Amino acid sequence: MKALFSKGSKNGASNPPATAPPVKKDFQVPQISPLEKRLQDMGPIRDDGSDKFYGMENYGNTCYCNSILQCLYYSVPFREAVINYPQRTPMDSLEAALAKNLRYQNPNAHLEAEALAARQKASSPPSARQAGVPPNPNQKPEDKESPEYKKKVALQTLPILETKNNATSYGMSESLFTSLKDIFESVVGSQARIGIVRPQQFLDVLRREHEMFRTAMHQDAHEFLNLLLNEVVANVETEATKQAFIDKALPPTASADSLGMVPSSTGSKSPNTTRWVHELFEGTLTSETKCLTCEKVSQRDEVFLDLSVDLEQHSSVTSCLRKFSAEEMLCERNKFHCDNCGGLQEAEKRMKIKRLPRVLALHLKRFKYTEDLQRLQKLFHRVVYPYHLRLFNTTDDAEDPDRLYELYAVVVHIGGGPYHGHYVAIIKTEDRGWLLFDDELVEPVDKSYVRNFFGDRPGLACAYVLFYQETTIEAVLREQAQENQAPMAGAAETSETGKANGSPFSPPLAHAQSASQVPPDHTTPFTPLNRIPTAPQLHTYPEEPSEPQAASPRAVQPPLPPIPDEQTTPLSPKKSDHQLRKERRAIEKEKEKNERNRQKEQEMYNREMQRREAEELRRAIEASKADTADLAAENGSPRKSTGFGFLKRGSRSFSHRLSKEKEPRVSMSDMATAPLLAEAVPEASLETEPPVQSPVSPRHFPPISHPKQPKQPIRTSEPLAKDLAKDLVKDQPTNHTRPGHTPRWRSFSFKKVA
Amino acid sequence: MFVLPPPPPRYTIPVAYAAGAANGMAVPVLEMNNTITHPERGCPLQVGEGTYTLQDDLLLATPPPHPSEAPIINPNPLATLPTPPTTGVKLSLVTLDPRKKPPTFLKSGITVPQFGDENPALAAPPVAAKDAAKRRKPKNNIIKSSSSFVSRVITHETSAKRLSDRDPNGVFAFANINRAFQWLDLSSPTKEEHLTKVLFTKAHMLCHDINELTKTSSHLDIVMGSSAGDIIWYEPMSQKYARINKNGVVNNSPVTHIKWLPGSENLFLASHANGVLVVYDKEKEDALFTPEVNDHSEQEIGRLPLDILKSVNSKNQKTNPVSFWKMANQKVSSFSFSPDQRHLAVVLEDGSLRLMDFLKEEVLDIFRSYYGGLICVCWSPDGKYIVTGGQDDLLTIWSFPERKVVARCQGHNSWVSWVAFDPWRCDQKTYRFGSVGDDCRLLLWDFSVGMLHRPRAHHASSRNRSSIVVPNSQIANRHRADSGDNRVRSDSNETDKFNEDLDQTTSHPVEPKSRTALLPPIMSKIVGEDPICWLGFQKDCIMTSSLEGHIRTWDRPSDSVIKS
Repeated sequence: MKALFSKGSKNGASNPPATAPPVKKDFQVPQISPLEKRLQDMGPIRDDGSDKFYGMENYGNTCYCNSILQCLYYSVPFREAVINYPQRTPMDSLEAALAKNLRYQNPNAHLEAEALAARQKASSPPSARQAGVPPNPNQKPEDKESPEYKKKVALQTLPILETKNNATSYGMSESLFTSLKDIFESVVGSQARIGIVRPQQFLDVLRREHEMFRTAMHQDAHEFLNLLLNEVVANVETEATKQAFIDKALPPTASADSLGMVPSSTGSKSPNTTRWVHELFEGTLTSETKCLTCEKVSQRDEVFLDLSVDLEQHSSVTSCLRKFSAEEMLCERNKFHCDNCGGLQEAEKRMKIKRLPRVLALHLKRFKYTEDLQRLQKLFHRVVYPYHLRLFNTTDDAEDPDRLYELYAVVVHIGGGPYHGHYVAIIKTEDRGWLLFDDELVEPVDKSYVRNFFGDRPGLACAYVLFYQETTIEAVLREQAQENQAPMAGAAETSETGKANGSPFSPPLAHAQSASQVPPDHTTPFTPLNRIPTAPQLHTYPEEPSEPQAASPRAVQPPLPPIPDEQTTPLSPKKSDHQLRKERRAIEKEKEKNERNRQKEQEMYNREMQRREAEELRRAIEASKADTADLAAENGSPRKSTGFGFLKRGSRSFSHRLSKEKEPRVSMSDMATAPLLAEAVPEASLETEPPVQSPVSPRHFPPISHPKQPKQPIRTSEPLAKDLAKDLVKDQPTNHTRPGHTPRWRSFSFKKVA
Repeated sequence: MFVLPPPPPRYTIPVAYAAGAANGMAVPVLEMNNTITHPERGCPLQVGEGTYTLQDDLLLATPPPHPSEAPIINPNPLATLPTPPTTGVKLSLVTLDPRKKPPTFLKSGITVPQFGDENPALAAPPVAAKDAAKRRKPKNNIIKSSSSFVSRVITHETSAKRLSDRDPNGVFAFANINRAFQWLDLSSPTKEEHLTKVLFTKAHMLCHDINELTKTSSHLDIVMGSSAGDIIWYEPMSQKYARINKNGVVNNSPVTHIKWLPGSENLFLASHANGVLVVYDKEKEDALFTPEVNDHSEQEIGRLPLDILKSVNSKNQKTNPVSFWKMANQKVSSFSFSPDQRHLAVVLEDGSLRLMDFLKEEVLDIFRSYYGGLICVCWSPDGKYIVTGGQDDLLTIWSFPERKVVARCQGHNSWVSWVAFDPWRCDQKTYRFGSVGDDCRLLLWDFSVGMLHRPRAHHASSRNRSSIVVPNSQIANRHRADSGDNRVRSDSNETDKFNEDLDQTTSHPVEPKSRTALLPPIMSKIVGEDPICWLGFQKDCIMTSSLEGHIRTWDRPSDSVIKS
């Protein structure tokens, strides 16, 4: 709560509690929420966004979007990559945006409102903290869509964060990726720890570009996840191609030279900068098909961004995954075309995982088409999922086949069928345990709460998408050692509710967590959780001065006109400063504790472990990079030349019976390849065009998931139209319809065939 | 100083009923009778030695909720209220027939010191000669009890007659279902009719055990652990009981498993959901427990393999607990005493298997599951192997003398809830065990010494017997040097280093799947429609019990027992 009201200085050096006026406390004490209780003793605001817990406003059946966005935000490497690509928004630009977009509300608004007999009182912000920003009456939250009282209260009392298009400040044109980045950056940059995001701009872009999402209908969260990841890939690649032309057009800067970064003539970018989505979510499946006639085994690799698994009653995700790799007969209508024998033959097929993704998104196929009912039906099978997972169905030559995953997020579908219902996300945050994100509402929950959604409990709530992220046994052990200490912290909290924040007692967890500012607890040999090896420094991180080899070439690209160069890395000195300070303190601490040899050794050892892990990880990543590079080399031209042909990653469905079931839902992956071919030609030609024209032309690249979009002459004037559209969006953030744009985008649609 | 966590909230909503309702079970409104069915097509289990035929399926009646605990089915599926732990039906079986005793594989004549032998404070008070033969009973009469903990006791009208007429060598079964605890006579022609049914309020019984040492035709010592942490010592013949750890005064966390200490008349071990193992004495009074050992700080909890907060050698042995060990911050799922009565295998929700010399209060080894928590554990009858089952859907065979994993057994489609050896089908070289799980399956497994210990390279050519399957080994080690391998194995370094400071505990790394033998089951069968949670082998039958109360009995094929 305290941090909510303190405009802590940017580098987090000031102490927040001092600024909290005593008057407010009387009001706050009775209404401290469970989330606020869990967030006590957080220390100063961090700059990596790991201490932000924002609900998201639901604009009517947009919970599919909210739950997925939350899951992605709390994937540490994904969040880091999003906010750092292509660069972080310059601080002043972000702050200016935040000053406009973050609106504090009176935390007692709902009490007063109730006192005034439901007459909604204009929320008057606490004056001291508003820095002269007048409350915008237009932004007044209305809670028609959230009938639940808690959500209503949250909407009335918590700071509201509007997100606006800020893409120009980091040199991109507006896209789904930039609106995602805008959301993430505003949350990360905000000084309030809790609040509510209004993802209006994101939804506007989404709806503008995808007709399917224009209605207020219930949407499928998994489809949305897949679309979003593909869209991010597409946007990033488009941007990379665009930058390549700029790089080529302008003379390379000295820094670019020093890194040996010379833009290649093909326009393909170093995978360091653009392949981060692939490196996180993408895995490779190998399907081995053995022709039963000629015994020849043919192999085919496919990439996937998530896995869809068929469910069985009373099973586990382990078993669902294993079932997929079981041998399958291709016979009768489903015969295999053998190149060797030349014809349709009976064959045996099995799918195995050849390259394991770092984040494994598992889609449980709860919606199944039933012939007798002629529609999709929700399966309420009991499917158990463990907190940790390894994969059994790996190929023999897979790298790291015993990779350990931990469950970090669960998207839950509540409802009786696929056409209606509600989505929420239950997410393990880096250091505040598991939280339930239900649109505007964020509530702390027990670890065991995660297990309420196997599908066997009343209330129709079932896990629908599971997110597993890679981890190590060491990280798991460290975490387990700290687990369930929370009751003690809880006891302390309850006994000290309302006490000043300067209380000498802080729960044991807090020490380990807010490591960057609070003097490290000398008795805690554990690594601070925000640096767990599951959250390694991404090599795309452009601001890490200590690792020049990992520094992204993107950071040194020629600046775009509106952005002064020196603003690109405002946060890095601070970060290294923190680390330095921490290390210094650690050394002092060790001196003090010299007699306690054991602990010292442990700590040193832990550090050593970290180094090793980091190194390992780098090596692994490099290896995988090398692999992918090899792959690219093997696959030859489509990958190298355009960077577009392989963009479209489907979610790999583990259903072999898909065709038999005639699942009517049009899968993204199904329409992936064919239409792309049509577009490959103009793209390729664009790249061979003289660089003089190129800085503009990449904008013409069609978003990759609009494969059916007809080529229209109007697109030559698109930059203008797009700017116009942007202005439109700015001026009328709530206008969804924009009739002028509709016809151009209509051609792409997902029809759910009932 | 170690601060004990505050008591967890007492649960107000009997979620067990709500969960039952979701599974299609109506919440019962009346006290029902158990029913018995003889499924027409049966559910034969076909294995090498013959066919096990399903004798019957006894369904225990779920008792209606207590009027004061009417089930409020919360319409909000996202309600964050903590839910009380529930468990399916588990059985404790007892027979006085010496012929039905499982065969033993240990050399007799070795005397093992008793737990707490070295502590004079624990020495039993001298008992007058005439009292020696007479068993001590608990104090309170359960039928006349006015305790709010015991709701009601329903005795069969003719229970006295049934008891006196029965075959003295018949098998008694004790079973928990929801808030009821039933006493059944399995040798009776009307075995579905309970002898006594005890109904509790505020808590459900989750586990129970019968003292093999003190059983007589007129006396049975039963201990049972509840979801509230309270433990009941119950003597069914005289209907007397005592309540231990009343209101969680020693430890207020649910009891997950309970067993009499081997060879002890009075002491039993209970594991609690907060990672604690406690030895209680059935005759001692409770006292508010404060840790006796304070020489380490909070941060070490969970790092030490065993945190002895009260040792059996403590001078203060007037009250319970006798000893109090903190193992981890996670739930202790189950534990099992070795046949030599010296060692203890403990499995935890954190995925570790810890082998203890419990007489010395030391953890010898820590193994880890492939992934996920471990749920069940048992020893082979000769004490050489330990089998665990867990959330990785695997059963894992560990060699006790060699202290290593010998095989992983793949066959379940969901979590494994119970594992047991079949001592009647084990000899010095081959072993039979069974397992049941949340996938509603019963699986039987065979393994033999020779096969498991053969070097991996030879496995492929030696498939003479059904079992060992070798994952493609020729390429398996190609990537040994890469990071993945380091990732898996590096914890051994950490723990080795770590353990230089800590006693003799060895922590073992997780073996990669490419280096571990994989064992398929010899039989796998779906035996019901709800998760199976308990499995027991008897001389003449195999028994399982399920979440919703189905107790199934399969008769062994004739002459299937290995003659020893």
